[in-house]
Amino acid sequence: MGSHTSRREFLSTGLSAGLALPVVGAGSRMGLGLPSGEPEAKAGSPVKLEYRTLGRTGLKVTTVGMGCMITSDPSVIARAADMGINYFDTARGYSQGNNERMVGAALGSRRKQVVISTKSHAPNKEGLQKHLETSLKELNTDYIDIWFLHGRNSPAEVPDDHIEVQQLAKQQGKVRFTGVSTHSGQQQLLPWMAQKGVFDVVLTAYNFTMDPGMDQAIATAAKAGMGVVAMKVMAGGLRRQRPGDPLYKKLTQDGALLAALKWVVNKPNIATTIPSMTDMDQLDENLKAMGNPYSAGDEKLLAAHLDAIRPLYCRMCGKCDGTCQKGLPVADVLRFLTYADGYGQFALGRERFMELSAEHAAVRCGDCAECTVKCPYGVEVQSRMARAQELFA
Amino acid sequence: MKAAGLLLAVLVVTGMARAQDALDCHFAPGWEPSGPERQYVADNLYDYKDGAADGYLIYGFAHMRTIDCKSGGDTLTIDVSEMTDADAAYGLFTANRDPRLPIAKIGMGGQVQAQSGLFAKGKYYVEIAEVAADAEADHSATIQAFVAKIQERLEGRETVPEALEWFPKENLATVRLIPESVLGLRLLKRGYVAKYAQGQAFVVLEATPESAAEVMKKLREHFDGAMPTQIGDEAFQAKAPYLEGICVFRKGRYVAGYANLPEAQQATSLAAKLAARIP
Repeated sequence: MGSHTSRREFLSTGLSAGLALPVVGAGSRMGLGLPSGEPEAKAGSPVKLEYRTLGRTGLKVTTVGMGCMITSDPSVIARAADMGINYFDTARGYSQGNNERMVGAALGSRRKQVVISTKSHAPNKEGLQKHLETSLKELNTDYIDIWFLHGRNSPAEVPDDHIEVQQLAKQQGKVRFTGVSTHSGQQQLLPWMAQKGVFDVVLTAYNFTMDPGMDQAIATAAKAGMGVVAMKVMAGGLRRQRPGDPLYKKLTQDGALLAALKWVVNKPNIATTIPSMTDMDQLDENLKAMGNPYSAGDEKLLAAHLDAIRPLYCRMCGKCDGTCQKGLPVADVLRFLTYADGYGQFALGRERFMELSAEHAAVRCGDCAECTVKCPYGVEVQSRMARAQELFA
Repeated sequence: MKAAGLLLAVLVVTGMARAQDALDCHFAPGWEPSGPERQYVADNLYDYKDGAADGYLIYGFAHMRTIDCKSGGDTLTIDVSEMTDADAAYGLFTANRDPRLPIAKIGMGGQVQAQSGLFAKGKYYVEIAEVAADAEADHSATIQAFVAKIQERLEGRETVPEALEWFPKENLATVRLIPESVLGLRLLKRGYVAKYAQGQAFVVLEATPESAAEVMKKLREHFDGAMPTQIGDEAFQAKAPYLEGICVFRKGRYVAGYANLPEAQQATSLAAKLAARIP
């Protein structure tokens, strides 16, 4: 998909691709008690479970997994496993390690039936090794299924000695598969990982609000045999929104979050997703993404959502860099405005604005007869910039 | 209106100034700043904390100031987070503290370990993390020095939320603020959960007795076979998957109870003791 594809076309393509995809690929048995062949849906599970093969790992994972980061009550994790979800994600850094301990305790005797991924954000070799030992202890397990380097957003953030630690852990049997988790920079990082050939899995932020160029990066990773796991699939859900924000109303509509999840689940190159779940209702809701195809109704909901955020929401794609005739760093100024308008942090927004050069701080966008900056996503740049200048200058 | 906006801006700036005063690498000898101070709000906290950002947002995060300090081969990062209120700051502390270690009297509560420290004071939640050249080294004295200086410079409440005192102390392991979905139930929006050697107690703070009564009504419908019992203004007990023996009662605007006991009757007798401690 080219980067000029419109967002509506992008959504529609997701719809058509999603309806045609095969659900389960042929997986190899990886031992350690995980099921080979088609895992059986759990008795009493209200939805049909769907599985995909996680790249070269051969693991068969439910297309909806569980991000455990903000789960407070272990019963939600236990019930998710009992209902058949078999992919659970945590990290050494979540709640200072308390999250790993809870996930380990909640899964308990179910350990061999599930895939557990965890991550380390340690900045050096020694720290990574220490984290791994701690993760094994806290998760109460002999092995970690997938061990990610946490939050690496460029090839430079994945140094060779970190990869060596991962490979050694694999040889020692402490880790079955390795990968990298990433929140940005995927269009450089994923092709690099594909070429490097040493990673089994990539965990990437991916949702319907993102640059369509993401699809190409993900396809490259999948083609190279990497399993692709998607996070931030709800586009921030409600946690980053407040009543009054344009996204808030849209995302509180019935079915809006489920539509966002289905959009990702129906992408054939995504093996599984890890939406956060804090309660049983959310779990029941998210499970429906496996039983129901992405529909025209879902597309309508997401398109309306995008229409609502388009004039305001900067995706930080960088396509406006250098296009302002006065040389303004447009994306930065839009971000300063978001601090004030979106998050009530006027002082922070102004402080950052005042760090602009005197020449840039003096620009008044209302003086330009025509704005040379054209946002490919429809942000009304001139009026937003003028608002920032009115507010901060 | 303009005056109110100006007042708000002044308050925000004042709050930020306090957090800024609390960030100084010279609080312990031999430490120097490494790079400029960084600031984060909800929309860019992911850039710094990755997925762990959700853990801040769910408690009510407003703003963070961060600084890196260096001493030889050791790096220390100080995060001063401004939360929406003191309860949110204490809540985040309860989520991140090591429940196996005691809470020290630092602000509302804190912990200092060999290479890390955290505490909450007023609406501020502070985390110090060290990356030491020797991963096994004990630098708790250095961390303690930073913690002491930082907490001196932050204003705000030093007493824990009142609700913590309501939980019976016998066999009490930990108390945590759960920011949403207490016991994994969406109906129980936000409240405190106390873990005991056996079972767990909870107190959910509803806005009014009427809204609490509405929650009770929905909870009774949620639990099959809920049996009425006599605690507070209204109560029931039940057996449920994952929550086992459970008793829920309402006292004024509080919805509270016990869960995860082998039998509902055990939950009920413990719930009666909890109810007696809630004003």
